[in-house]
Amino acid sequence: MSAVTAAVPFWRAAGMTYIGYSNVCAALVRSCLKEPFKTELSSREKVHFSLSKWTDEKQQKPTVRTDEE
Amino acid sequence: MAMAMAALRREGRRVLLSTPSPAAAMAAHSPAASQSQIAPLGARSISTQIVRNRMKSVKNIQKITKAMKMVAASKLRAVQTRTENSRGLWQPFTALLGDAPSVNVKKNVIVAITSDKGLCGGINSTSVKVSKALQKMTSGPEKESKYVILGEKGKVQLIRDSRKHIEMTVSELQKNPINYTQVAVLADDILKNVEYDAIRVVFNKFQSVISFRPTLATILSPEVMEKESESGGKVGELDSYEIEGGETKSEILQNLTEFQFSCVMYNAVLENACSELGARMSAMDSSSRNAGEMLDRLTLTYNRTRQASITTELTEIISGASALEG
Repeated sequence: MSAVTAAVPFWRAAGMTYIGYSNVCAALVRSCLKEPFKTELSSREKVHFSLSKWTDEKQQKPTVRTDEE
Repeated sequence: MAMAMAALRREGRRVLLSTPSPAAAMAAHSPAASQSQIAPLGARSISTQIVRNRMKSVKNIQKITKAMKMVAASKLRAVQTRTENSRGLWQPFTALLGDAPSVNVKKNVIVAITSDKGLCGGINSTSVKVSKALQKMTSGPEKESKYVILGEKGKVQLIRDSRKHIEMTVSELQKNPINYTQVAVLADDILKNVEYDAIRVVFNKFQSVISFRPTLATILSPEVMEKESESGGKVGELDSYEIEGGETKSEILQNLTEFQFSCVMYNAVLENACSELGARMSAMDSSSRNAGEMLDRLTLTYNRTRQASITTELTEIISGASALEG
């Protein structure tokens, strides 16, 4: 239990949110799966969207978050 | 009788035109030209070409809308199951932390969830309308309210009059089937880039294929949440739970609200995708029905005109023949 307690401030201090932290943990667990299940669940890690910030009423260049090359 | 006369006159002109003298031909040509403006040579009835083309295009449109309906219906089934399963993610949060849609805070962020594609009835305009009303309610002299817009269609509608309140826009979210990781990464990006006291997520909650309700989910920042719990709201119940580890209450609240945001977002995005497909299905259903009705009307007009022209031709021939006999 003490390990968890000590770990909490570290990811928070590194600028991660709880969402990011839990995502990393989930990816880790998923990567531990054996083969038939591993490829089955790989679709759950696909990320694709394009995000653009707005400053001075103008749309800035969109950044595309994707893991497909 | 008049038609027979016209036919005879046409016959007479052909005789005149065939005369060898060019001067006579010229003289004969000028009245012929003036006559051809009234009715072109050889034209006996109204052309049905235009109606035929229109019928063909309506038929093609109907084919397309039918296909779109089938596609939406087949996609809907999978998304609906995922949506119904995802409801279990936010319900415990609401049970634990409560929902505070009427909370009055300084920095408001409205997350308007819309679709990227159109042709899906009124779901985008409802969610834009609710967002706009919410923006008016939550902004004031000491308060401000910004938009984070998911989806192209909502962006297009909000750009027109709320351009100065837009903080961030997201699109192409539905390129792959929606999964939690994707929405969580997006929620993470929103949390990191936007300052907020309360996030209000506006989306269409899926009820059935033909009905969806604009819904509002409110997520408070940890600080506001703590204040709310001190004032004895529903959050006060958190103290009655035994908590493992040595975190303080504010740390737990921060983690909880962040996780709540990503879960609510996941559910909201799925609900909206589901409503979109349902709305598209019913919209395409009614438009293929309309196309069918239009096609029926056009076919009726086409056949009537055809019938009328045949009748006219028959009358012409018969009356012409009887004029010659008589």
